[in-house]
Amino acid sequence: MRRRLICAVFCALAAASGPLVAQQPIVLQWQTANLTESQYEPIWKQTIAEFEAANPGIKIEPILVARKDHWTKFVAAAQAKKAPCIVTVDLTTAAYNGYLLPLDRFWDAEPAEMRKAWSEDMLKSARWKGKLYGLPIWGGTYAEIYNRDAVTKAGLDPNKPPKNFDEYLAWAKKLTGTDHWATAVLGGKTDTTTRVLLTWIWANGGEAFNADMTEATFAKNSKSLEAIKFYLGLATRQNVAAPAPTTTNYLEQTTMFAQGKIANMRNAYWSMAKAEGDNPAMKGKMFVAPLPANIPDPPTLATVAASSISTSCANPEAAWKFIKFDAGRKWAVQRAKIANWMPLRNDLADEPEIKSDPTLLQFIRIGQNARSYPLPHPVWAEIAANDIVDAVQKALLQPDKTDDIFKDLDARLTKKLRDI
Amino acid sequence: MKAGNSLARALKWAAIAICLVVTLFPFYWMVNTSLKPASEIFLSPPTFISSNWSLDAYTTLLTQKPLLRFFMNSLIVSAGTTLLSLVLAALAAYGLTRFFPGGATLFVMFLLFTKMLPETLLVIPYFQLMSDLGLLNTYFALVLAYSSFALPFSVWMLIGFFRSIPREIDEAAIVDGASYLQIFGLIILPLARPGLVAVALFTFLIAWNSYLWALVLTTDSSMFVLSVGIANMVGEYRVQWNELMAAAVIAGLPVVVLYSMLERHLVNAITAGAVKG
Amino acid sequence: MTDGDVRPVQRGRGSSAWTGRRRWIGHAFVAPVFIFLCAVVVLPLAHAFWTSLHRVRGLSRSFVGLQNYERVLGDEAFWHSLGVSLQFTAISVALHVLLGLGLALLLNRLSFGRRALRVLFLTPWMVAPAVGATVWLWLLEPQFGVVNYLLRAAGVIRAPLAWLGEPALAFASVVVVDVWRGVPFVMLLLLAGLQTIPPEQYEAAAIDGANRWQQFRYVTWPNLRYLLVVASTLDVINTIRHYDIIGVMTAGGPAGATEVLPVLLYNTAFRGNRLGDAATQGVLLLIVVLSFSAFYVRITRPDRGSPAA
Repeated sequence: MRRRLICAVFCALAAASGPLVAQQPIVLQWQTANLTESQYEPIWKQTIAEFEAANPGIKIEPILVARKDHWTKFVAAAQAKKAPCIVTVDLTTAAYNGYLLPLDRFWDAEPAEMRKAWSEDMLKSARWKGKLYGLPIWGGTYAEIYNRDAVTKAGLDPNKPPKNFDEYLAWAKKLTGTDHWATAVLGGKTDTTTRVLLTWIWANGGEAFNADMTEATFAKNSKSLEAIKFYLGLATRQNVAAPAPTTTNYLEQTTMFAQGKIANMRNAYWSMAKAEGDNPAMKGKMFVAPLPANIPDPPTLATVAASSISTSCANPEAAWKFIKFDAGRKWAVQRAKIANWMPLRNDLADEPEIKSDPTLLQFIRIGQNARSYPLPHPVWAEIAANDIVDAVQKALLQPDKTDDIFKDLDARLTKKLRDI
Repeated sequence: MKAGNSLARALKWAAIAICLVVTLFPFYWMVNTSLKPASEIFLSPPTFISSNWSLDAYTTLLTQKPLLRFFMNSLIVSAGTTLLSLVLAALAAYGLTRFFPGGATLFVMFLLFTKMLPETLLVIPYFQLMSDLGLLNTYFALVLAYSSFALPFSVWMLIGFFRSIPREIDEAAIVDGASYLQIFGLIILPLARPGLVAVALFTFLIAWNSYLWALVLTTDSSMFVLSVGIANMVGEYRVQWNELMAAAVIAGLPVVVLYSMLERHLVNAITAGAVKG
Repeated sequence: MTDGDVRPVQRGRGSSAWTGRRRWIGHAFVAPVFIFLCAVVVLPLAHAFWTSLHRVRGLSRSFVGLQNYERVLGDEAFWHSLGVSLQFTAISVALHVLLGLGLALLLNRLSFGRRALRVLFLTPWMVAPAVGATVWLWLLEPQFGVVNYLLRAAGVIRAPLAWLGEPALAFASVVVVDVWRGVPFVMLLLLAGLQTIPPEQYEAAAIDGANRWQQFRYVTWPNLRYLLVVASTLDVINTIRHYDIIGVMTAGGPAGATEVLPVLLYNTAFRGNRLGDAATQGVLLLIVVLSFSAFYVRITRPDRGSPAA
């Protein structure tokens, strides 16, 4: 009898102390290059605050890194198996290198109403070898953004933006004058150069790679080469693009646009917020149009940023909780409204903030036919930022050798694509 | 003769002035940009002196961004590195110049060898090492890393400096019954003060300005040093140039002040240490 | 401090304090640095060697022996990079030394303001290379940079120059920025050296009728020669390893015109994710640097002693 009493007391104590013992909070590190972007800061701080309030016992520790060093830091940590739990990185490259955890078991356990907010196409962009490695959270669709004042001043009609390459060139010639140009050709050493190049190739009906990405067809596909020559020719032959294309990145392009040096930029929605931030007078003075194309219904490019869990993570269940939370409707709308990042959920059409933003709706419409970026190949991170950029730079400096340069590129890329 | 002299002198000063302009112009532009309001940064033509100059960028940095915290971290890490390097380098230089007068060359070769591998390759294994030792996000890991860069030159400079202190002084003290450590601490170190100051300045500079290691070894933003804090201000989407330049000015000021005050010692030390080899 | 006695004390002359059993005390003094450097540098170095013998794909690695070396040595990008590195280093160091010497000579003869000028000229060395490079990036910006503005205002150029966008210009620009960064320290070294030359030597030469140039050749140069060699060799070792300036300003572009080895290495390791190849490039770079260091060591052997006239 006494034994049973002692046992009962003991068990009661143990049960009471259970939650006390589990009080040690789980700390999840979260690293994405965007945490240092000033327009995103208030949003992510709020996200963390609300998540922690709803989940006592889990703390989120944001890791702030300069964008250009984000991958370096991640790799250094991942190699020592100490990477942050929640990361947004180049998914295919990271998955191939064993840095990410497959998320299928979490995903499949979620209720169907949650899962259907992501289309199968959208999820495909986060799959590698059939496994899901990230949950797509936000993205950016590329379209043409024009400076309305510059367009009307050149005698052009903002309601009739160019629909194909020839019309685009005609507009460009009118929009160029002394010390101001129609557009900028991106040739700087970042992967935005590659993004824009791809949009031109696709708009001409060309392809940069074969279907299963084992071969590069920049030169091999004649429509691709034609598009490349047209696009690069804007700078080298037509002189309608701002000078110094080989050092023009996203930053120079948006700065020049905000300062009125170029009348048009091919970019995503967030660049408009950036232009307004640089030059408040730009507010309301920009309009958006689909990319000019030589084929009907051309695909544009949509960057997809997904949240993933690294293999170093000691608490993947908690990490998944946060990812799910961050992917919720509320934050998607906030990101769209404040940071101008495209939501990737397909169930937000009725949200008032989305409906009331005509520009956002335009981008969503343009993005209906989009190919996701980065392209799904483990060496994509390297070829997009190194090899393809090198070829573009060479072709900008020696336009007569464009054919050979891109034939070379094809050969080199094909070798790299197969060397995995 | 006189005319030739003054022409030569004028030319000399002209040459100095040109070099001075080229040397200092970037700093002038740094300060100029840091004082401009954001709307004026991209004005074409750019403004050289502006009536709109203000300390807004600086106040934003100091109040809204944890720049002071970064400053303190940099200070602690740099001071720690200086201390560690000084102690180790002085000990080594003493030992080498007193006990192995001929063997210094071999050791210097070894020192140089340790500097030869590019930083990029050292980063990953070093991270692993610090991670295994549980030293991530600590001042200590950074102090260790920076000391490893500073030591080779420090030892080299101190070897030259110590060598110019005659061994007879030591031997007299030994006859008086002093231990080697006492000789080192109480006799040699005070004599070598200019050399030590020079090494301290040099080491402080290396630690203060280093970036890659702090980037990789610290994740907690309360542990960031100035160079990391500054780099984080360069977003791909937006760069606040005036704030960035203001941060760079803040980061550069302590070093300039320190060097102005102690620069005489630097020259003395190099004179004694490096010239004579 | 006497300016003599830099030669090692002869053995046997009062040397019992330093030899024999007491040698171990010497070892004890040197040991901390030795152990420290071994742990902190040699270990990662060995790790780099070991990695260069593997094919690394993220967390998995497989031993491939010398295959990486075959591949890197057969890669035209590596040789191109090596060429750019050697060119960049040669030109940069030559300019460091020439301009450093020139400045030192100029400042040496000054009667006033020498100290202030010394600090002022030293300032580029005091700022972090990456920060300095960022400021120069801003100065050289084609549309909004002040350099183009000044040149156009002065009528020297008509259209904005792409300082970092054309291969030759980009190479020249990074050299200029590296010279801006590197001259101060060489100048300081040489200035210190100049100040140790006894003025009597100059007076004697002047009495003998030597003009300025002859004074330089027969008094200054022999006294400085040793220091010059030391300074330039150290400079070479540092410049050939340098990443920050080119990494920040051009990342190796345009079209590889400024892709020195450290930049290629960084791109291979962190953009290319080929850590095995990167380690291989690093080891090869080390061999190149080693050969310069061997040269340095030969020059600075103790039997060289002090630079007598």
